[in-house]
Parts: sequence; C-alpha cells; structure tokens
Amino acid sequence: MSPEAIIDGLFAGSVYALVALALTIVFQPTRIMNFAQGEAVILGAAAAYQIVALEKLGWVVTLGVTIVLAALMGLLMERMIMLPVRMSGSRYAWIIATLAAALIFQSLFNLAFIDVDALRPNPVIAGGFQVAGITVEWQEALTIVVALVVMAGYDLFLRRSVYGRAIRATAHSSDTSVLMGIPVQRIVVLSFVIGAVITAVAGMLAAPVIFVAPATGLMFTIKGFTAAVIGGVGSPRGALVGGMIVGVLDTVVRSLVGGSVGNFAVFAALAVILVVFPSGLFGKPMEAH
Amino acid sequence: MATVDSRPARAGGTAVRGSVFDSTGYHRARKAVLAVLAVVAVAVLLAWPAITDYYSYNASYYDGIVASAAISAILTISLNLSMGYGGMLSMMHSGLQLAGGYATGYLVVKLSGSWLLGVAASVAVGTVVAMLVLLVSLRATYLYFGMITLAANLIVIEVGREWEPVTGGIVGVSGIAPSIGDEIMSKRAFYYVVLACLALAYVLQRNLVRSGVGRASMAVRESSDTASAMGISPSRAKLLLFAVCGGVAGLSGALYALQLGFINPDVGLLDNGIIFFVGLFLGGISTLIGPVIGVGFIAALVELIKDQARYTTLVLGVLLLVAMMVIPQGIVGTWKASRVGRDRLSEPEDETLPDTVPDVVPEVRDVPDGVAALEGSGIVKHFGGVHALDGVDVRIMPGTVHGIIGPNGSGKSTLVSCLTRYHQIDAGQVRIFGEDAPHAAHGVAHAGVTRVFQVPHLFERVSVLDNVLTGMRMRESYSWVGAVLRSPSYRRQDRKEREEARELLAFAGLASRADWLASSLSHGQKRLLEVVRAVASRPKVLILDEPATGLTSDELDALGRLCRVLRERGLAVVLIEHNVDFVMGLCDELTVLESGKVIERGTPEKVRNSAAVLEAYLGRPDLVEEAS
Repeated sequence: MSPEAIIDGLFAGSVYALVALALTIVFQPTRIMNFAQGEAVILGAAAAYQIVALEKLGWVVTLGVTIVLAALMGLLMERMIMLPVRMSGSRYAWIIATLAAALIFQSLFNLAFIDVDALRPNPVIAGGFQVAGITVEWQEALTIVVALVVMAGYDLFLRRSVYGRAIRATAHSSDTSVLMGIPVQRIVVLSFVIGAVITAVAGMLAAPVIFVAPATGLMFTIKGFTAAVIGGVGSPRGALVGGMIVGVLDTVVRSLVGGSVGNFAVFAALAVILVVFPSGLFGKPMEAH
Repeated sequence: MATVDSRPARAGGTAVRGSVFDSTGYHRARKAVLAVLAVVAVAVLLAWPAITDYYSYNASYYDGIVASAAISAILTISLNLSMGYGGMLSMMHSGLQLAGGYATGYLVVKLSGSWLLGVAASVAVGTVVAMLVLLVSLRATYLYFGMITLAANLIVIEVGREWEPVTGGIVGVSGIAPSIGDEIMSKRAFYYVVLACLALAYVLQRNLVRSGVGRASMAVRESSDTASAMGISPSRAKLLLFAVCGGVAGLSGALYALQLGFINPDVGLLDNGIIFFVGLFLGGISTLIGPVIGVGFIAALVELIKDQARYTTLVLGVLLLVAMMVIPQGIVGTWKASRVGRDRLSEPEDETLPDTVPDVVPEVRDVPDGVAALEGSGIVKHFGGVHALDGVDVRIMPGTVHGIIGPNGSGKSTLVSCLTRYHQIDAGQVRIFGEDAPHAAHGVAHAGVTRVFQVPHLFERVSVLDNVLTGMRMRESYSWVGAVLRSPSYRRQDRKEREEARELLAFAGLASRADWLASSLSHGQKRLLEVVRAVASRPKVLILDEPATGLTSDELDALGRLCRVLRERGLAVVLIEHNVDFVMGLCDELTVLESGKVIERGTPEKVRNSAAVLEAYLGRPDLVEEAS
C-alpha cells in the first residue's frame, strides 16, 4: 500500500463527508433520509463537465452556475419530496418519495449525458506537490480543505447564529418550534437548498479525480449515508469523521486487496457498526419514525 | 383514513345513508362484479399463451412479459408481507432475489442438477439470508433496520461480483434452463409454472395474514410493547415473517433465473429493486391483491412505452410521486376507502348488556391457599438518580380486586412495568403464583399476567374483532405452516376463537361494532375493548393502568361490572387509578404509594382513615391550620 492511497482515501472521504453533512442537514428538520441527495453530486460534476470540459469556460463560472443550479435543485427536491410525504401520511412515504426523486433526477442526467461514461473535467489546479516524499494532487488537497472549511462553517453557523439555533430547535421538535414562532417551513426549504449546494460543490470538486457517471448518484448517497451513520446522524463532526473512515477504508482495502472489495469492506463496516452501536459511533439514538 | 371517510355515512343521517352505494343491493352487485372480474382475470392469464399464439407471431415475447410480471409480483408480495404487514422496511429484496437466482443458477448450470432442486435451494438460500440479516439487526429500530438491509443488499451484490466459482463474477451465470430429463421445458409450460407459483405466493400471503401468525406480526408492527403484553414475542414474530419473506423472494429469484436464463449482480441493484416499491405503493401496501395489481399496471405501462424505453425510469418516477399525492393508499387502498368500494358496516345499536357471563371469560381454579397471584418484594428501580421505586412490597391475592393508588409521580406505573418486566428492576423479586417471573415481558404474559396500558394501545388499523383475536394468540397451537395450509386443526381453532371473541364483545356491549376499525371507536369504547382484548388472553392476573380516565359514568359501570365478574371467576385484578370513588367501591385491598415507597396497605376503610394517606394527598392539615 502506498501512502498515496491514504491521501486518496482522505480525498474521497471528504467528498462522502460533505454528502453525509448534507444528508444530516436535511434529516434534522424533516426526519427524512434523502435518497436523492447523491443526485446533487452528479449535478455538480455534470455542470463542471459541461462548462469546463465542453464549453472551455473557467472554474469561477462553474462555481457560480453550480451553486445557482444546485439551489434550484434543492427547491425542486423540497417540493418533490415534502409534498407527497405530507399528502400521503404513510410511514414509508419518505423513502418512496426520495427514491422516486432520485429516479427522476437519475434518468434526467442519463438522458442529458447519454453517451458520456465519466463526467470528468480538467482539475481546477493541475499537477501536485510533494510532502515528505508523498505526491499530493492539488485537486485532492483543495477538496479536503474545502470540506474542512464547509464543515467548520456549518458547525459555527449551527451554534452561533440565530438561524442555526432555530434549525437545532426544529430538529428536536418541529411542532414545538412552530409554537415558538420559528418558520419551520422556511427552514425545511433552506435545509434542502443548503444540502443540495454543499453536495453539488462536493461533486464539482470530486469529478476531476473520482469516477462520476450520470447514474452513480445513488451510490454516492449510500456512501454518504454510511458515513453519516458511522458518525451518528445529526452531527457535522460525526459526518466528517464518518466520511474519512469510509473514504480511507474504501481506498486502503481497494489498494490492498483490489477490485470492489473496498465496497464490501465499507458495507460490512456499516452493518457491524449498526449492530454493535445501533445509534452510530457518536450519535444519539435516532428515534423510530 | 378509512375511518375518516366512513364516518359521515353514519353521522350524516338519511341523506347520505340512503345513497345507492350503501344499499344491500349495490353491495351484492359489486361483489358479483368483482368476482366475475377476478374469474375473467384468472381465465385470461390461464389462456394467455393460447391467446398470444392466435393473435401474434411473437407469442413467446408476450408470454415472457406476463411471466416476468408474475415473477415481479411474487417478489412484491414478499415485500408487502415484510413492509405492509410486518412493518419491516426491507431494502434487500432485490438482493434476496439475486441470492435465490444464484442458488438455482449454480445448481442447474454448474452441478447440472434438476431445476426443481434449484428452486428448493433458492427458497432455502433466501430464507437463510433473510434470517441472518434479521438476527443481527434485532435491536435496530425501524429506520436503521432499513439501512442494515440496504447494507446487506450491497454485500450480497459484492459477494456475487467476487465469488466467481459460484456466481460467475460480473458476467454472472447464463444458460439456466428448466429441463425434464434431457429435454428443456418449453417456455409455454414454464409460464404455467410461474403462474402456479404466483398463486401459491398469493394464497400463502392471504392465509398467513388472516391467521394468528399474521395478527401477531401486525401487532408487533403497531407496537412491540403491546404485542409483548399479549404474550407475543416480537423477535420471534419478526424472525418468522421475515424468513417467510426471504423464502418467497428466493422463489422469485429462482423463477427469474429460469425464465430469463441468466442471473448477474445487476439484478440485485437497488435501481432495479425500485420497481417493486413502485408496484407495491401503486397497488396498495398492506392489501392482499394490491401488489399484484400494482405490478401488473407497471408491466402494462412499461410495455406501452417500450418504443421510448429511455424515458421509462423518468415516467415511473413521476408516476410514483403523482400516485403518492393523488392516491396515497394505492389503487386498492383508495378503492376500499372510497364510497364506492368500502365495505358495509353494521349499524351501531345501543346494546343491552347480557346478564349471563359467557363461558369464555376465564376462570382460575385450584389455586393453593395463601399463595399470592402476583407478588413483588423489595422492588427497587432507579432512573439515573431518581429512586422511582425504593423497596416496594406488594402482594396480590387471587380472587381479589387490588387497587394501587398514590399521587402523581409516586411510581404506580413504574411498579406495573417492573412487575410485568417491561423495566429491568435494580433489586427485588417478582413471583407469579409462587414462581419466579420470566425475564421477558412476553414470558410474563405467558405466565398469566396481562396488562392494559395507561394510554390506549389498540391496533387501530385492524377491526375490533381482530384486536380481540390478537389477544388470543397465546393459546393458538397451530404453526404457520398449518395456517398457510388451513389445516383442520387451524380451522377448528380459528372458528372457535371467532365465536368466543364475538361472545366476549357482546358481553362488553361492543358486538355490533365487531367489524369496525378499532380507530373508529370512541375513547371509552377503546378502553373497554382493550380490557376485552386482555381478557381474551385468559389471564390469571389482569393489570389495568388507569382504565377509568375519561370514561362516562355508564362506561365506568360497565368496567366495574367486568372487574367484579373477573373477581368472581377467581382472577386477580390490579387497578391503578386516580378515581378514588371508583377504586374505593370496587377494591378489596389497596396499596398506597408515595415517592416510591408503600405508605399504607389494607382495606379501603383502613386506607381512607390513614393519616399517612391524607398527608400524601392533602398535605398535613395540622400544619395548615397552624399557618393560618
């Protein structure tokens, strides 16, 4: 195993951590595990591919377009998921609605990029640098830094700002929050938008290095979900740690044994962790809903 | 939902009641039409190969479509059993199908065994995989259970990709064909095999759901606490149901492999599994025929848009979202809840309570003198630093009504939960008729102690009668196989149970509401029904936690009457109550709790005059006078 594998793992881990964070952000006020979350990764990757690789425009344009598109996607997702969930009343409504949303986005991406195998634009910063004999690609370093900044920023936002406090209150009890005058509906919409933007940025940064195909959204959701569960759903720090564990475990096992054993290791780890710690490594028990 | 819809018909007076849809004639006609439709559907399915042969040059293609849909329907039935009736969110059904497919593929192609053997192996593999997953995830709650099954699904796929000698790796196994002797069975013959399997799966689902096994699973779905109080072991009920689901899913995997001739890891992908979710929700979850209708609908739709195949996923996704909003209960569920499709309910009558006590009411005889029916000694229970119970002794004798009273927060309900093993006690002993109480809550119920909870814990989505029948689960002696095959012993027991349940309901004045949904009862009726359900489990000790709260005086009388009857029959009745008049009039003995300690015990008269009790309830009158 080369030390580069660890760096690759940390890089992949920061992508999963961002997805996990987004899942957590949506989960907290809505109690919904959004199976469509990973589709935003594809959105980010597709935007980068379209703008950088095909249109030959700069990364600044890409970032702007991605954020706008992702915000729209978040708004759309909120309608697509929350409306059926509210109107249905079935206890399984959330999973069906989010899976349906995932299906819809997936088929849209498939239709738009029908002959594209991998959405792979050029990296933001080409090349790499050497630290103590280990080659680190700039793109990987950049992604890890962005992930850390986003995590820290969201943690700060959650703890320090009024809005953050409102979100935390909503996470505890949305009914009580309504009584306290917190605009729960607005917070739900905001959560979907923030979640989609974060995930799309992750996808945009990951695309030059990781394999992202138009139909791989669900895989990113599942990996991100694994990260969130390992870290304990509901905490940004847990998402970070969980993401890193998933990423490193995946790449290291892959480079040691090879092939898709990496996936196997990750899901086996998820199963074991859930069996031994039914509420994740750092989380509080998630009540059944 | 059904209740909300069915209410106006009762409350709305003649205008609504006189509607055509509620007349007997309409219901008879509807039944006939539905029966004819069912017969036609079955006939068309049976004659399908002949029909396609006659009308099309491409008969085998159309036969294949129906066969594939039938295979999907089998899997969806399994999913319905697990999610709809068992409340277990399973995301590994496509994985189970894959595992089943591998078993058949390996046996038929690699070992050149018989395809029947392959089918048997698939069922076994599906069952074992499902049981393993359930066993490791017994502690997981609803959402996490779904996630563990998701992980398990991915693991099955990964195993399929890596274990090349058996599964053929990414390419999979191909050339799987059902053969009799040296000859390969014709597609047309196999079509009938698939159809027979679908019928089998449907009958299995129907018989299982309508038996005590299914009622136990539904009880666990609604609340595992209540199920335990009925003597149902939640873990065993879940394990049984999920194992059956696994077997059915394995069967569909075998058929899939035999029908298409190949099996590869992609079959197990969640993306492919979504179609079963869509079918289930479109057709109607927790309905018997819903999965079949839903899958049939989707198969027809996919066939219609096959020229635009790349839009299929998009159309399915949009369809699913729209269906959730427009018909949240699926096609069958919405039909059943609509004015056109709902069942006729008997008119509620004001019933006169029968004077004779039916034999169904249990009797406790041959109890040795001086042995307490339920005894707790030195029970200590801490919650963190709070001493909820601090060395409580309580003895409840058979043939008495025993009241446990005390101010709010004095530990009454905690005591009940400790006695019935819902809480682990920190110190002390619980004995039932002189023997140590079992350690699991459902074991306590088996030992003869049944509790009724403080807040109503009815199974709201099933009928009043089914609620009572669920209470009888403990004494059903047939196995699930007997229930599925409708063995003579099962039928005998089932008939007897239904008779007894109706007698009990009549005794409680609920007979005319037996077929109503439990959720449509008033609060008082619900409480009464809960007591009836508990009585149906033939307890020796019946614990009622605040049964009188919110009852009208008539309902109070009915409850008091029931308690007295049970006492005469030799049962021990434990009443936890706030309503002092009710308790004083009914109880033979009282135990008074305050801050987790017993402050007084004895006859109502003694308790009424006790200084300690007065102080606990009212404060110390002498001090009050001094202050003023």
